[in-house]
Amino acid sequence: MLRLAFPLVSHLPPWKPPPIRPRPLPARRYAASATATISSSTTSSPPSPPSLPPLSPSSAYVHLPFCRKRCHYCDFPIVAIGSSSGTAPSRVEVADDPRIVDYVRLLLREVAVTRPVSDDGVPLETVFFGGGTPSLVPPLLVAAVLDALRGRFGLSACPEVSIEMDPGTFDAAKLRELVGVGVNRVSLGVQAFQENLLRSCGRAHGVEEVHEAVGIVTACEGLQNWSMDLISSLPNQTEEMWEESLRCTVDARPTHVSVYDLQIEQGTKFGQIHIHLFCAPHIHVLVQFGYTPGVFPLPSDTESANFYKIASKRLSEAGYNHYEISSYSKPGYGCKHNLTYWQNRPFYAFGLGSASYINGVRYSRPRRMKEYAEWVQKLEDGTWSHESRSSDMKDMAMDVVMLSLRTAWGLDLQSFSKSFGKSMALSLCNTFKPFVESGLIIAMDMERQALPHMDFGLDLQNEGDLGSKVAFIRLSDPDGFLLSNELISLAFGVISP
Amino acid sequence: MATATASRLAVLAQRPLTPAPRRRRNAPAPGRAPSRPRALSAAPRGRVLCLAAPASAAASTTDAGQDRLQKVPISNIRNFCIIAHIDHGKSTLADKLLELTGTVQKREMKEQFLDNMDLERERGITIKLQAARMRYVMNKEPYCLNLIDTPGHVDFSYEVSRSLAACEGALLVVDASQGVEAQTLANVYLALENNLEIIPVLNKIDLPGAEPDRVAQEIEEIIGLDCSDAIRCSAKEGIGITEILDALVTKIPPPKDTSKDPLRALIFDSYYDPYRGVIAYFRVIDGSIKKGDKICFMANGKEYVADEIGVLSPNQMQVDELYAGEVGYLSASIRSVADARVGDTITHYSKKAAAALPGYSEATPMVFCGLFPIDADQFEELREALEKLQLNDAALKFEPESSSAMGFGFRCGFLGLLHMEIVQERLEREYNLNLIITAPSVVYRVNCADGETVECSNPSLLPEPGKRRSIEEPYVKIEMLTPKDYIGPIMELAQDRRGEFKEMIFITESRAKIIYELPLAEMVGDFFDQLKSRSKGYASMEYSLVGYRESQLVKLDIQINAEPVEALSTIVHRDKAYSVGRALTQKLKELIPRQMFKVPIQACIGTKVIASEALSAIRKDVLSKCYGGDITRKKKLLKKQAEGKKRMKAIGRVDVPQEAFMAVLKLEKEVL
Repeated sequence: MLRLAFPLVSHLPPWKPPPIRPRPLPARRYAASATATISSSTTSSPPSPPSLPPLSPSSAYVHLPFCRKRCHYCDFPIVAIGSSSGTAPSRVEVADDPRIVDYVRLLLREVAVTRPVSDDGVPLETVFFGGGTPSLVPPLLVAAVLDALRGRFGLSACPEVSIEMDPGTFDAAKLRELVGVGVNRVSLGVQAFQENLLRSCGRAHGVEEVHEAVGIVTACEGLQNWSMDLISSLPNQTEEMWEESLRCTVDARPTHVSVYDLQIEQGTKFGQIHIHLFCAPHIHVLVQFGYTPGVFPLPSDTESANFYKIASKRLSEAGYNHYEISSYSKPGYGCKHNLTYWQNRPFYAFGLGSASYINGVRYSRPRRMKEYAEWVQKLEDGTWSHESRSSDMKDMAMDVVMLSLRTAWGLDLQSFSKSFGKSMALSLCNTFKPFVESGLIIAMDMERQALPHMDFGLDLQNEGDLGSKVAFIRLSDPDGFLLSNELISLAFGVISP
Repeated sequence: MATATASRLAVLAQRPLTPAPRRRRNAPAPGRAPSRPRALSAAPRGRVLCLAAPASAAASTTDAGQDRLQKVPISNIRNFCIIAHIDHGKSTLADKLLELTGTVQKREMKEQFLDNMDLERERGITIKLQAARMRYVMNKEPYCLNLIDTPGHVDFSYEVSRSLAACEGALLVVDASQGVEAQTLANVYLALENNLEIIPVLNKIDLPGAEPDRVAQEIEEIIGLDCSDAIRCSAKEGIGITEILDALVTKIPPPKDTSKDPLRALIFDSYYDPYRGVIAYFRVIDGSIKKGDKICFMANGKEYVADEIGVLSPNQMQVDELYAGEVGYLSASIRSVADARVGDTITHYSKKAAAALPGYSEATPMVFCGLFPIDADQFEELREALEKLQLNDAALKFEPESSSAMGFGFRCGFLGLLHMEIVQERLEREYNLNLIITAPSVVYRVNCADGETVECSNPSLLPEPGKRRSIEEPYVKIEMLTPKDYIGPIMELAQDRRGEFKEMIFITESRAKIIYELPLAEMVGDFFDQLKSRSKGYASMEYSLVGYRESQLVKLDIQINAEPVEALSTIVHRDKAYSVGRALTQKLKELIPRQMFKVPIQACIGTKVIASEALSAIRKDVLSKCYGGDITRKKKLLKKQAEGKKRMKAIGRVDVPQEAFMAVLKLEKEVL
């Protein structure tokens, strides 16, 4: 019965339209505003009112699945369209690729048939073109999608419109065009600054294109906000290489840095190599991917943890806030679209395999093109209905915990206790107590100032007023973040014993 | 090690079939025809199977063998059993005897065999013939032959002795290509003690490797039995079966005619039938019993009315009266087999016999272990299952036990290792329980400082070191028969297990009997498996308790993150404590997942740490990708991780997976 109506989002940083020209804001912007929201929510909102009107999404994710080829680590829903050569961007051929045009048509149909959650006219504040490699899509088609979204849901005066771009898939003119149609944030998939690493993980570009792309992005007028995306723990990556990548990143002065830790997923080429190396070594498979049998060149857990710590250190030193497990930003440049996710707020999604969160229901679209097309057709025919299995309390609580603990703002205990009951909040704190003591978890007061761990214990003893002193808990950076799965799954165990 | 496994499985069921508690998911619905066997089960084949329960099943066989219910003079009754080592062909021979006497038609047997295979599969145990009354005509004179089956394992030597006591003779079946095995020997000695006439039979003479002369000589040398007219047969090929039947008639003495005496009937087996209560199998020694008689069990003095009496042929067939010398069954609404124990004497309530038959004894568990449900919710189910098994197994003892690591469970006592395995197997397969089984232990006698003597079978209940003066442990005398090639490895094994060499005799040129005395605790682990593997399956063994002896025993405790784990405590000999401690801590280090902090794993004697390992902390466990807001997959992974933690047992702050306990317990069985 409980739907998205849940007031959980109220304690998280409120949504504010960003300035047209984003200026660096004070570092504690989110903290301060969040605190303000909490005090208002304590006075006004009743505990878990299921009657609140559903929140209207103000974010939209658009999936553009096309890639030149699939990277060895990738398990996203993508469509590999190949390219004529390994070096020269094949813009012309790509622009004419009927598969892209057909797909965008499908996308537009999905947008057209998706009804806004409410008629209150809440416009979209963020749009995120993710992929795939969205930069392969001709700007005119991106514009068409943006126009459709504007027409259907409205677009705020100064929305955040992000697009993922890969080196080697665009030039200055293309980027200018994109900015011209409304894109104002670029997420540049650099991944690494070493030729051999790029090659061994199957990227379609080399270091030269990386530098070229960084040059184009930094030189682009009208584009202030961009993210450098890196992957750590790639095969054969050394500490020196990682330091080099971070140095190059800092030198490029992006407003945002995303650092993803490589995950070996089943069904990817890395997954295959992993299997072949450890389960049934077939030399030809390894040779095919350029690996030496018997040597899996992935950094060890210790090395990989070290990479994470180095990134945290280097980027903090360079003035970036580590505001989420894998995200760093210059003050004021946190990715507003991604914040929607961490704040457990609703969002639309369009396109192949994309996941939306509307009216408390998360829905993932089909990951195969044919099925997706059929699904859109059904949507138009009105013959598709999603069994609205609304999430129960436990699922809600898990979402809140797993999402908020990913961020530097952490979990709002008072709000959590209000929504899910004091006893659950208490047992959560009790479970976390040893980790507050060992420093993996940090207890914070209303002002988000870290508290000594003794205070946490004292607060727990005064069960009556949990949250009187300790208002938030967060995972420490980098040690707590590094063990986030362990800590969050412990919390899951408390929520669903 | 197929031999060892098969031989253990083969004796799995010493009870006849009772309708299985239908808990297994794939069990066919009652009344529906069982489907054909789909896969070959591990159960050995070729056994005569006898459906004990429904009288209706007998309908098809009555026409052909009705005359076997006819009475013959007592001088024409022959009661016998078959003594044979596993795989030496007892079942095939029994099959052939039933077939040749027309007790079971050939066609019928095949059907029975197949049908029962399904039942076996369903119940997960093998079922064997319990007793069969056959009619055999020799020189135009009708004879009644009663075959009484015996369990073949040392764990059930008491039951064997009672079966033997119900007979006047025995067929000693020896594989002509193999020779005498320790188990056979033990049972032959038991038969001789019971004054049975023994007829040696050399089986499998059709095999190319058969050496009947050598084996006959071996029997003469080892047992001292005249083998000059040993019957050479091949049960499989049907060679020599008539000779065997003739020998049964001519060599085995008839029972004494004591039918005018007060009733004394010896129970040689009993099982629980959920519809009719206990069915007791007995041999009338003196007097006679009629349907409707008021009877009395002499061991406990309980009284019943014999609602139904009958004979087994091999199905249950009702009769009105059974006389001295005859073998049959009765049902009398008896609620538990503990009330109709093997060895007990049945007499008439109104005309009691002066004395019970000799040889009755209570079951004394020799081996103990803890049984804990993996899923704590199954505790009550486990209790019910044990209670049900106990209805049918008077030797099974259990009492509740709790442990911090394992939760609630039961401490169970068994006659021996095989008995323990059977019970465990039945609990898991018939009752769908997932169990953790602690290392088997024996009953120690602790001489306390205050002069008191305490019996202790649970390491965690061992009195404190300060309170005890000494510990005694049970010793067994173990006799191993082996081809001479394996003498070395076998002596090494016995030596390893703190064995004291007693004697070695060459029973033939190529085979030796080695006698050791060693602690029972050293035998309850994998001794038998080791013996088999070190002798490539050729050696056999037999043991008997020789009493308690003082030993340098210590209690070895395991601590994880400074928390003692009671369930992993063991009692070991001082000399072995270090190597056992090292093995256990290493295994635990391998199996406990790394935690968010460093975890010391220690083995201690008292406060002294004798082995120590450290589990380093996890470096990293982070999922950085959370793409396009699709949190479902990530959440699934985290939920799975949370589920994984739930399946673990918290030892202090450390999550220890169930598998770690099980692996360590298994290791304890191996290294102790």
